[in-house]
Amino acid sequence: MKIYTCKDKLEDIMTCIYDAWADALRIGHDQIRLKKEPIFQPTLLDEYIHVDGDCSKAEKVTRSIRRDISSRAYLYVYYASLSAEEDALQAIYNFLRVGFAMGADVLENYTNPHVMRIMELYRNIGNESHHFREFARFQSLDGRVYVSHLEPKSDVIMLVGRHFADRMPSEHWMIVDDNRKMACVHPKDGENYLRYLTDEEFDALRKTEAYEDEYTGMWKTFFHTIGIKERENYVCQRKLFPIWKRKHAVEFKE
Amino acid sequence: MSVKSKKSLASANVCLYNENMNTELTNDNYTTQEKLQILADAAKYDVACTSSGSSRRGRKGELGSTVSCGICHSFAADGRCISLLKILMTNHCVYDCKYCINRVSNDVKRATFTPEEICNLTVEFYKRNYIEGLFLSSGVLKNPTYTMEKMCETLLLLRTKYHFNGYIHVKTIPGASDELLAAAGYLADRVSVNLELPTSESLRKLAPNKTMQTILNPMGKVQNTIAAHRMAIGKSAYMERSRGNQFLQAGIFSDTSKQQFQKKLESRAALQKGTDVSKTSARSNPAVLDSSFTWNQAYQLAPHDMSRLKRSFAPAGQSTQMIIGATGESDYTLLQTTQQLYQGFDLKRVFYSAYIPLNEDSVLPAIGTPPPLLREHRLYQADWLLRFYGFQADELLTLEKPNFNELLDPKCDWALRHLELFPVEAETASYAELLRVPGIGPKSASRIVNARRYGRLDFTNLKKMGVVLKRAHYFITCGGKQMYHTPVEETYITRQLVSVDRKESWEMAHANEGFSQMTLADFGIG
Repeated sequence: MKIYTCKDKLEDIMTCIYDAWADALRIGHDQIRLKKEPIFQPTLLDEYIHVDGDCSKAEKVTRSIRRDISSRAYLYVYYASLSAEEDALQAIYNFLRVGFAMGADVLENYTNPHVMRIMELYRNIGNESHHFREFARFQSLDGRVYVSHLEPKSDVIMLVGRHFADRMPSEHWMIVDDNRKMACVHPKDGENYLRYLTDEEFDALRKTEAYEDEYTGMWKTFFHTIGIKERENYVCQRKLFPIWKRKHAVEFKE
Repeated sequence: MSVKSKKSLASANVCLYNENMNTELTNDNYTTQEKLQILADAAKYDVACTSSGSSRRGRKGELGSTVSCGICHSFAADGRCISLLKILMTNHCVYDCKYCINRVSNDVKRATFTPEEICNLTVEFYKRNYIEGLFLSSGVLKNPTYTMEKMCETLLLLRTKYHFNGYIHVKTIPGASDELLAAAGYLADRVSVNLELPTSESLRKLAPNKTMQTILNPMGKVQNTIAAHRMAIGKSAYMERSRGNQFLQAGIFSDTSKQQFQKKLESRAALQKGTDVSKTSARSNPAVLDSSFTWNQAYQLAPHDMSRLKRSFAPAGQSTQMIIGATGESDYTLLQTTQQLYQGFDLKRVFYSAYIPLNEDSVLPAIGTPPPLLREHRLYQADWLLRFYGFQADELLTLEKPNFNELLDPKCDWALRHLELFPVEAETASYAELLRVPGIGPKSASRIVNARRYGRLDFTNLKKMGVVLKRAHYFITCGGKQMYHTPVEETYITRQLVSVDRKESWEMAHANEGFSQMTLADFGIG
């Protein structure tokens, strides 16, 4: 079996799908697997093929998904490509096999396990990005720049950033992904862009988290006052605001 | 206040602001932080902390946007969402409502925010993504109109000087003047007035300064104004409801039930004209409403020209809240009232708040009585059945059986009383029929309807689509077969469903009791 691997970037993923598909036309789809790098445990008998991103191939794949399936299907594929699940790339590939055969109707074919899987990934990413829209907290650096730190499982900071670009267009702010060392930066009245941080930049940005001002204190006061003692229900609180998502929420810090 | 802000206030053509108003509001010596503590503490019993129903893009140079699904920003220790900065403008109050912590005869710390303080807090919290907007309510300072004027002033300042474009929910004060009500509608996203208690008797008993009329009148006027504004921009007069409602002929938002409701109102009005004993008959009826109050009979508000603000009138509609467990109303009365509020006033939401005893009074439950959380939960379940599942209030409860079953949720309860309709075949049943099966909701029902156009279904598919089979499998067949060989028999299914739900119901009823299993750590080991 041939296993196509690539880095975790949209362009590389699309190129990987292109190359794998081209090969599959010769040896059959069942002889192909796709995986995101890094591969921690290679198998002995399979052949691993690394694919680098190629702009024109990626564009071809994107274009055919939009034309032959639908733009909505492309949205699903894009979301799924952000997922940190191990089988995400394979799931996209399987979905595209069904999708190119069926056309635009494929998205309602819930009985097909491949369609169901991509829906699940889409839903997970959508939920996770929504949660971080809710739970992101900005630290104000003298009211000039607002910095937020997140540790999402999937690569959702650009989705989160898009929400804040609409909400606070006329402020300088950035959202830092502490796991991937990337930042979504928004200059005042400008467009969002993604930046891969160097180690020095990242270390400098880490320090912003210690920064607290009077409003942080007031928010904590508000947070602790607004709960009703007679209705206390920590299980419900944990269900709705899981502990792993609280890492950067100031109201839970002492 | 700066010169610039005065100019912008004047430019909005509203004469709300007056220099000497600020004087007596700043004379309490608390810091902002202390005020926040006092006034958030006083506001925490208000339940409607939602930010949904209004969708507005952000604008350059301004701050804020709204999202129609609403956004919760945190969850407090009681598990309730914190979406808005929920505060009172002041907890000074001239009223003496028996259930309320801020009643005039209570000795509590009193404070008042200045408009500037509220605006600053809102904007700074918003920029840090702590909140989704402002929820402003207030005790009655001096008189309703004066209080409402201060609240409108705050909102106007927030919208014009601070360029705040996020969500605002404002509670109107019953008895305030129409002009102020109209101004509030233009400045806020959602306007609401608390019904507090579902019948006029209990209102007279517990809130002697309020009457049903002073509460329902503004509600009708606001709704009529909302409807007029919606029609002016080419929308339907009625608020948007969840998409599924268009397929539900029996639901409370369908055209047929709107007509039925109108007919009922007309016959009621005719009856009242004919006989002069109408008052007593209306009182003995659990329903609070009569035709003179509903929105299409109410006057439309004619506000000052606020078109400069370029805002639509209360785009997220109205809501209200009722206290449950303070007086002896049955669930039947509460649910009937709820439905009539949805139909007569086209409210977006009705909220319930389990009464927590705060004041010593002979007509109220004693202090220390646990709040009726499970009952509140059942009422919310029923409220969802009305709004999303096409049920009518009188299908769920009747005069003979006026309260919900503690052990079963309202939908299971209904299904068990109507076993002649089951089992339903998942591959052929209509959307409306599927929705009535316990364990199938709007999402899974629409997925089933879509998916079966492309192939056969089986129980594994159904599970993947989100059907809760532990409840649904007693009531459906798929491809002519049941999942297990179970009899469609009331006692059997009841026994099974009760045991499925027992843990959940128990947790709901005992949510605030802090028992936990002993661990070695309790003894200092490990």
